[in-house]
Amino acid sequence: MKIPRRTLKADVPAVAMGDIAFNLLIFFVILARAQDDSHVKWQPASAAKLERTSNSKVSVAISNENKLYLNGQELGQAQLANRVSELLGDSPSGERTVLFKVHKDATAMYYEPVIESISEAGGELLHVLNQDTSVAK
Amino acid sequence: MRARRESKLLVEPAAVATGDIAFNLIVFFLVCASTQPDSGRKQELPNSEKTKTVQKDLKNIELSLSRTNTVVSLNGDPIKTSELPVRLKRVLDEKKSPEERIVVVKSKGDVPYEHWINVTSMVQDVGGSITIQREEEQTVIVQ
Repeated sequence: MKIPRRTLKADVPAVAMGDIAFNLLIFFVILARAQDDSHVKWQPASAAKLERTSNSKVSVAISNENKLYLNGQELGQAQLANRVSELLGDSPSGERTVLFKVHKDATAMYYEPVIESISEAGGELLHVLNQDTSVAK
Repeated sequence: MRARRESKLLVEPAAVATGDIAFNLIVFFLVCASTQPDSGRKQELPNSEKTKTVQKDLKNIELSLSRTNTVVSLNGDPIKTSELPVRLKRVLDEKKSPEERIVVVKSKGDVPYEHWINVTSMVQDVGGSITIQREEEQTVIVQ
């Protein structure tokens, strides 16, 4: 007599799916934060007639301690032009926007060389500012 | 008569759903954070090569800034910052070509960014285009 083999059904527990997704998400959020400059301490200057910024690949910031950051990573002024140029690559005009975030009290000896480097790298400068509400429209 | 026994079962939400709830909450906050746009101001700076050529042939408008945010110097004349748009517009109206409308901004090293952006915004608003002239570094050897 032939005895039929007993088959066992092995399923991945569906209960764990939520947790897996949760952990994956945290992983990607942390990765994304590595390129984020939200940890840079700066206060924007105010100006009138501002426009909404579009998404940009490059963000340059000067903090309240006059430190220079490119996409959230601290670097020296001498490296900036090359790094911005690398990040922008061969992007066409209109997609070469560089968000420029400068602390309102930073002095010209810090921000002017940075503006020059961004211009040298072919970046299109967009100063990130606060809307000046005191100016009457 | 026998009283009916009250059922005292502990009703808990399904623990299976906790992961999904957390997942959805994170997606929600992530979307909220990423859709918060910055507002700003575009600034076009002419290429340095182009500016050098222009400087040879034409006399550019010069705007000098110092730490004092109430006064600026337009072509060597000190004027109130509030008067700059009117005075600059008068000068720019005489200029026809875009090369002539370049305003050379010279700032002292201690000029705060807020003052600089305020003045350069005024220049852009009246139709001027900005170029920066930095103080040249020189090494002087004293014998």
